Amino acid sequence: MQATAALTVDHLPPQPPPNVIRFGMLTFLASEAMLFGGLIGGYIVLRSGAGPGWQMPEALKNPTTMAQTFVATIMLLSSSFTLHFSEVRILRGQRGGRLLLLLTLVLGGCFLANQAHEWFSLYHEGFWFNTAGIMGSSFFVLTGFHGMHVFIGALLLLAALVRTALGLITPERHAFLDCSSLYWHFVDIVWIFLFTILYIL
Amino acid sequence: MAQTLAHSVTEVHGETAHHHELSFFRKYIWSEDHKTIALQYLFASLFFLMVGGLLALGVRYQLAFPGTPVPVIGKLLPRWLVTDAGAIQPGGYNALFTMHATVMVFLVVMPLLVGVFGNFLIPLKIGAGDMAFPFFNALSFWLFLLSGFILLASFFTPTGFPAAGWTSYAPLSSHASYNGTQAGQSLWCVGLFVNGLASIAGAMNYITTVINMRAPGMKMFRLPLAVWALLVTAFLLLLAVPVLSAAAAMLFFDLNFGTSFFSASNYGQPLLWQHLFWFFGHPEVYILILPAMGLTSEILPVFSRKPIFGYKAMVFAMVAIGVLGFIVWGHHMFVSGMNLMLSAVFSFSTMVIAVPSAIKTFNWLGTVWRGSIRFTTPMCFALGFVSMFVIGGLSGIFMASTPVDLFIHHTYFVVAHIHYVLFGGSLFAIFGAIYFWFPKMFGRMTNEFWGKVHFFLTLTFFNLTFFPMHNLGLNGMMRRIADPTQYDHLRSQQPINVLITLSAFGLGLSTIVFFINFFYSIFKGPKAPRNPWNSTTLEWTVPSPPGHGNFDVTPTVYHGPYEYSVPGMEQDFLPQNQPVPEAARLMPH
Repeated sequence: MQATAALTVDHLPPQPPPNVIRFGMLTFLASEAMLFGGLIGGYIVLRSGAGPGWQMPEALKNPTTMAQTFVATIMLLSSSFTLHFSEVRILRGQRGGRLLLLLTLVLGGCFLANQAHEWFSLYHEGFWFNTAGIMGSSFFVLTGFHGMHVFIGALLLLAALVRTALGLITPERHAFLDCSSLYWHFVDIVWIFLFTILYIL
Repeated sequence: MAQTLAHSVTEVHGETAHHHELSFFRKYIWSEDHKTIALQYLFASLFFLMVGGLLALGVRYQLAFPGTPVPVIGKLLPRWLVTDAGAIQPGGYNALFTMHATVMVFLVVMPLLVGVFGNFLIPLKIGAGDMAFPFFNALSFWLFLLSGFILLASFFTPTGFPAAGWTSYAPLSSHASYNGTQAGQSLWCVGLFVNGLASIAGAMNYITTVINMRAPGMKMFRLPLAVWALLVTAFLLLLAVPVLSAAAAMLFFDLNFGTSFFSASNYGQPLLWQHLFWFFGHPEVYILILPAMGLTSEILPVFSRKPIFGYKAMVFAMVAIGVLGFIVWGHHMFVSGMNLMLSAVFSFSTMVIAVPSAIKTFNWLGTVWRGSIRFTTPMCFALGFVSMFVIGGLSGIFMASTPVDLFIHHTYFVVAHIHYVLFGGSLFAIFGAIYFWFPKMFGRMTNEFWGKVHFFLTLTFFNLTFFPMHNLGLNGMMRRIADPTQYDHLRSQQPINVLITLSAFGLGLSTIVFFINFFYSIFKGPKAPRNPWNSTTLEWTVPSPPGHGNFDVTPTVYHGPYEYSVPGMEQDFLPQNQPVPEAARLMPH
């Protein structure tokens, strides 16, 4: 069993050392951080300049939506922890790593589902990016950019899950899992900022 | 035991990889070899250089002979550009200068500096076999090429090229009813977004490679200055470009989906576009000049046969320029209606940048001072770079000062300044670098005589073209007007416009000399030895052109990169991979 796994890995093309790949991913995330920095900076400027033009829709103010989004936020944040423990287990060759990875994906999926539901109900209330002034534009572009990142992160984690199942991610060769998980943590951290400025403040 | 075996098998595999015959597709199209990617970038951006040059000649033709039909090709041009008689329309003129600037910035100078020389030089100069992520390197080139075609595709839309200036100020750019070029402007946003992805993929690669993959002994302070320059540039790209991507996305949504980021009628802010654009745009200016400074710093010591003057000062000056570059963007917006206090702050931070720039200039002079100078073509262009950059830098100080800028901002003075920095600066350095590294890229020498002809024609026509623009600007000629003769105070200036246009055509012709020399030498130039210039850095220790994988054995580096005319040695240069002889007295590195 061990030997087969090793054989599969040896037939793959050589990679740079894991810490170099990780370094590259971190530089990429610095760039991503500036993307969200630009968007959030723009948001702050627009919001502070809009005055009476900044109108929160009813759907975002009502306690049910707030509670739902809060739960979704908790789910997204806890998915970072399940991912971390999944990674630890996979890297140590322990059981249960894949299950935790699956759990992470489910939690991320729930977050996306909640966001889709929220967009849907806002749309039905007449609050859409081209009808609700500057508040609508900012809300949908920020949550849209972030949602797209969560979606890409989920795809990466799904690929990591498949690769783990195929024996392509092992305690010796795990750069793909490393990078996907860095990306996922980054997306979570961005959401903390977005949740704060969009829903709380 | 089994593990050791597996390990050694991988090593052997790695070493013999270059003996594999690669398929045509893997060798020339989707190549992951950094040298091939550099050449792909070179040919692509030289193509775009011709496109951008032709657009510039269109601009110049209109300014010298407004309202007269364009000879020969006038009738063939699309109707959004010319009238039925074949004369350039005012709207078409806007389209020409918009695309001239966009092409030159994003498809010519940036890829020539970062794409060509970043790719070609970084692994060779640090002693690495290739970039850290060859796949993303190849991806970066193809995304860049795609972005070029997206930008130029707007030529074929019914409303033509975008026409809101390369800065695309909102609300002109964000409302189709104002700019009349919805398709073109949208393609502009998409093109720059894709171009940004290419830049980020490249920047990530460069930073990772320089930090992690240096040969043994290649300490950070033994890196050649070109590598330092490209490293700082990569950080600027990494952190500035995504802000443009965010802004371009917002502009795209405003233009096509009815969001209101930049529209004042819905509590959006047109000025936000300027802030986001210039937050990217000013670091971009240094992205366009820092690598040129680095390349010049490689050429000057070689042909002065002297170490670079003040190596560490040069490094710290570049880092300082990179950092300061992020806090000066407001100086592009003095006339956009800015708080006076804030404008004073931006004015101050801008003038502070003059200090590291001056450090670099004086150090170049210190390098050349009392050297035994060889006036080869690359050296001529490098000296041309220093001289022209000084003129461009000095006219920059005029504009850093708010009260002066208020009067000259929207005049031809700014046009003169940008061209002295971007053409006289960056493009001179690029020409010099192409002549300098041509032997390493293609294994053949360029023709020295025709190189000199190219240099002197370029220098002459460049100054004839752009220097009079200072006068035009101070005499009150505005930027971006299609027909200067409609104003009384400009009619007397028209002969200067004609002179500039004739010189611009001369500048275009001088580039043909370059292209002929370039393509002839690729096929017929004399074979180049390993180290034709007696240079010290690692790329000259491998064959010309280097094989796949660059170095047979990973080199060891023993000292800094500019050991020329070392006291106590017979040979007047000491390559970085050679140990320091007993008798030699090096500068401490």
